[in-house]
This record gives sequence, C-alpha cells and structure tokens, in this order.
Amino acid sequence: MDLLIDSLISAILLLKSLDAEVCAIVLVSLKVSSSSTLIASLIGIPAGFAIAFKEFRGKRMTITILNTLLALPTVVIGLFVYAFVSRRGIFGPLDLLYTQKAIVIGQVILIIPIVTTFTIAAISRIDERYRKSAMTLGATTLQTAGVVFREARFSIMAAVIASFGRVIAEVGISMMLGGNAKGFTRTMTTAMALEYDKGEFVLAVALGLILLTISFAVNLFFNYLQGRARA
Amino acid sequence: MLFEINNLSKVYAGRKVLDIPELRLEKGKVYGLLGPNGSGKTTLLEILSFLLPPTTGEIVYGSRKVDFSEGFLQGLRREVVMVEQQPILFTTSVYKNVEFGLGVRGVPKERRKRIIYEVLDLVGMREFAEASAHKLSGGETQRVAIARALACSPKVILLDEPTSNVDIENQIAIEGILRDINIQKGIFVIFATHNTIQATKLSDHIVFLFNGRPASSVYENIFSGLISTDDNGKKYCSIHDKLKIAVRTNKTGYVKISVNPIMIKVLPARDARAGDHRLLGRVMQLIDEGDHVRALIDVGIPFSALLSQREYKHAPVMAGESVALFCPPESIEVV
Repeated sequence: MDLLIDSLISAILLLKSLDAEVCAIVLVSLKVSSSSTLIASLIGIPAGFAIAFKEFRGKRMTITILNTLLALPTVVIGLFVYAFVSRRGIFGPLDLLYTQKAIVIGQVILIIPIVTTFTIAAISRIDERYRKSAMTLGATTLQTAGVVFREARFSIMAAVIASFGRVIAEVGISMMLGGNAKGFTRTMTTAMALEYDKGEFVLAVALGLILLTISFAVNLFFNYLQGRARA
Repeated sequence: MLFEINNLSKVYAGRKVLDIPELRLEKGKVYGLLGPNGSGKTTLLEILSFLLPPTTGEIVYGSRKVDFSEGFLQGLRREVVMVEQQPILFTTSVYKNVEFGLGVRGVPKERRKRIIYEVLDLVGMREFAEASAHKLSGGETQRVAIARALACSPKVILLDEPTSNVDIENQIAIEGILRDINIQKGIFVIFATHNTIQATKLSDHIVFLFNGRPASSVYENIFSGLISTDDNGKKYCSIHDKLKIAVRTNKTGYVKISVNPIMIKVLPARDARAGDHRLLGRVMQLIDEGDHVRALIDVGIPFSALLSQREYKHAPVMAGESVALFCPPESIEVV
C-alpha cells in the first residue's frame, strides 16, 4: 500500500513539474489515438450508416461478422499488420514498421468494427418516422440521411468516444507495431508497461493518472454537449 | 382529376391489406377517408403521398402515371405532403422544424421567415416559434406538423387521423385549420378518420374503406363474435355472454358482423315485443347530423343507430330512456 501511495505522490510531483519525457509520451499517445479515431470514424460511420440504412443480401451476416470482430485481440491485429509492414511483407518497402503510422493502421483496424457496429445500432434505433417525415417534406435521399444522422448524433458521438477510449488504452498494437521507441513511438501504455518491467512505478502511475484524466475530460465534454442539446 | 387509382393492391407478409379496383379523387375538394382501424386508411395515404409503393396497380397523379422508382418520386413528394397520425418533430426548435421543407426546396432565407410565421399564425403556434419541439403537447405537435407541411406550399395535404390523439380544444382548432387551408389556400385535403361525424362535418366527399376495400357506405357497429346454432336451427352471433344477435350466414366460428345504423329501428322499450332481432338498451347520446339524428345506445356494448328526422319527430327518444333496438336481418352483414 505504501508503495502505491508513495508512487502516487511522486507521480503528482512529476506531473506538476511538467516533465519533458512525460509530455512527449502524452503527445505521442494523443496524436496516434486521435489520428486512428478520426480515420476509423471517417470509414466506420458512413459504413455503419449505409449498412443500417440499406437493405441488401447478407446484411445480417455482415453485422454478425462485425460483432465478432469486436472481440479481436490486439496481438492478433499486431501480428496481422506486422506480416504486411515488416521488411518481408508486401508493404515492407514503405518502411512503416516501428513508426506511428504503423500503430495508427493497427488501431484503425481495431476500432473500425466498434465505430461501425455502434453506428448501426444508433441508426437502427432512430424512429422510422424521422425518415418518413423528411421524405414527405421533399428531402432528397442525402438530406433524409442527414436528418437521421442528426437525430442519432449523440449515439454516434458515443461510438467515437468509446473508440478513442479503446485505442488510447490499448498496449498490444502500440508495442508490436510501434516498438516503444523513446520520443517516437512510446505511448502512455507502452511506457507504463516498460516502467512496470523495470520496477519503476512512479512514471507508470503518473501516466495512468493522465490517461484516466484524459478519458474523464472527454466524457465530461460529451456529457456537456448532450446536456446543452437537451436544454 | 387529381388522383386516378386502378387495380391497386398492397400485400404485407402474404396478406392483402389494400385492394382498390378503382378510385377517382377530384381536384380542390376535401375528402374524408372513413373506416375502422385496420381498414387500410394509413396504407392508402402512404401510397398517395408516394412514400410507399403499391404491390400492384397504377396511380395517375394529375396527368402523369406514377413511376415508383426513387428518382421520379422526389419531385412528386414536393407537391404532396403527408402528416402522420402521431407526427414526430425533429429535435430542434419549432421554427427550424417548419423551416426544414423550405430549406430542402432552396427557398431564400429572407423569404423563409415570412412563410414560417405565416403558417405558424395559421395554426395558432406563433408564440411557440423558439420553443423546443420535443417539449410540446400532442395537440401542439400535431399543429406544428401541419404548419411544417403547409410551409412547403403543397398542392395536396394528406392527414392521417389528425385529431385522434388530441384534446377537444386542439380537435376544434385542427378541424378549423383543415377547412381554412382548403378554402383560403386552395389546398386539396385528404384526411383519414374513423369518426363518422368528423368526416361528415369536414369533407365534401367521403370514401369508405373496409378491410382494405372501398365500401358503398360506412361499416359501423362492427363486432367480433362466435357463430352458434340453437335447437331450432337458428343462427346467432354471440358478442359476449349476455348479447346474442340473430344472423343469417353459412359461416361458422369467429366472424365479424356489421349492423347498418340506418336500418336499425329504435322503439320505446314498452312498445317492444320479444324477438330474435330485438335488443334492449339505454340511450346514452343523441347527435344532430342534419338529415339524421344519431343515437348512441348502450345494449351492453355501444350501438349506433341513425334515425331520419321524420322518424325522430314521430317517435322521439330521450337521453337516458330505455329503448328496444330492432335489427332486421338485412341490416346485419357478416363481413
């Protein structure tokens, strides 16, 4: 218990001093996670929207496969992407391995199923009357989709936030594809794992605190937006 | 002619819910689509508003045959707007809800404001312009939904049971709005209702629908019951334990019967003799419908009888009075 309390006090002092190493790790984490969340959202939201909105053969199977992919372990994704970006892989010449780009690729694969399935659920829950109302008022298919999207916006935003939470907290992909290179690909989670291996808890606890604070701030902002919309 | 319908049908899960061999709706009139629940009114309105394709058949709108492919329909939807039975408003202000149809039509911003306040005035909701649409009552929501449809300056407005979920104050207001938009704005109005009085009061023409088919008159006094046969071979429809109505039918099991209200005779209870076609009850309500007086009579279930003014003057019945209903065999149809 003393170890935890001592580590916590030291961690707070470290954060207060705005330690350069800590700041660099946090920035890399935020940059990588934001990029992968943005890319996954740009792919997953329209895909989820199209799957929910359109009737096509194999729709149920597609949703089942996406639901299955939610359980995909990060190490499997790490191995899969490694096979493509390692020197012997087909994307080997692009020199992506152990770069932030490689981490982003892996994380995008990790969260696309999350964004897509959450978007499908969000759109499917929207009352059919919104679509009919927009159509009877003369809206085009795109404008009708816009109305449905607007009504589902908070659920879709929740999908994006859940995805961000997933990538900022994952360690497998960052470690396998990023390599935990200091100042380049060291993220909060890979740094925490390293410090734990070294038996140095102070930095690990400090980073843990930052990670939780970031998650809390993001959710607080989301709740604020929801509250404003309902006011 | 605004709408010409030929051999129209709509099938859901193998069940034909609409089957209209022919229907013509003239321009400029107010049409009441009258029928009980499940008679196909909503399905017909959705087809007429180009939201739902028919399974078979042809619709001619104006002089154009309607092609139910998506690209063709959008232009038609800009002329024909439907207001649902329980309309839903977008989660924004009343003003922005009404603005929606103008926005999709590319109406300039400065013109929108004038139109929005004009239609909100028409439905008596101007002071709610900035209110959140989701905080309105059922009646207010219905009025804003009508305003939202009117803002689009449609040629036709279709309303599905516009007063079924609102209080009496809003009912009166909405009925007034329907009359005004037809007379003042020349908008062709088709509304669905199961309320005979409302249909008679508001419409120039009534289209009767029953079980998805046009009917020659309204089916009223519709009851479900079990056909049974007594020792003498006479058939009865048992509505419940204490209410049996004599019927002539070859059908067995559970059936629906309709008793034509205009063929029912209402007699003072003292003048009634026992018989198969007589039911004893009490007058609950009397309504003047112009040529007729409608009597609502409780015989264990509410029964509606239409008396001509001559019949009523000859043998007036009073509210609260015990009466006997004579339902001749030809007044009862097993449907």
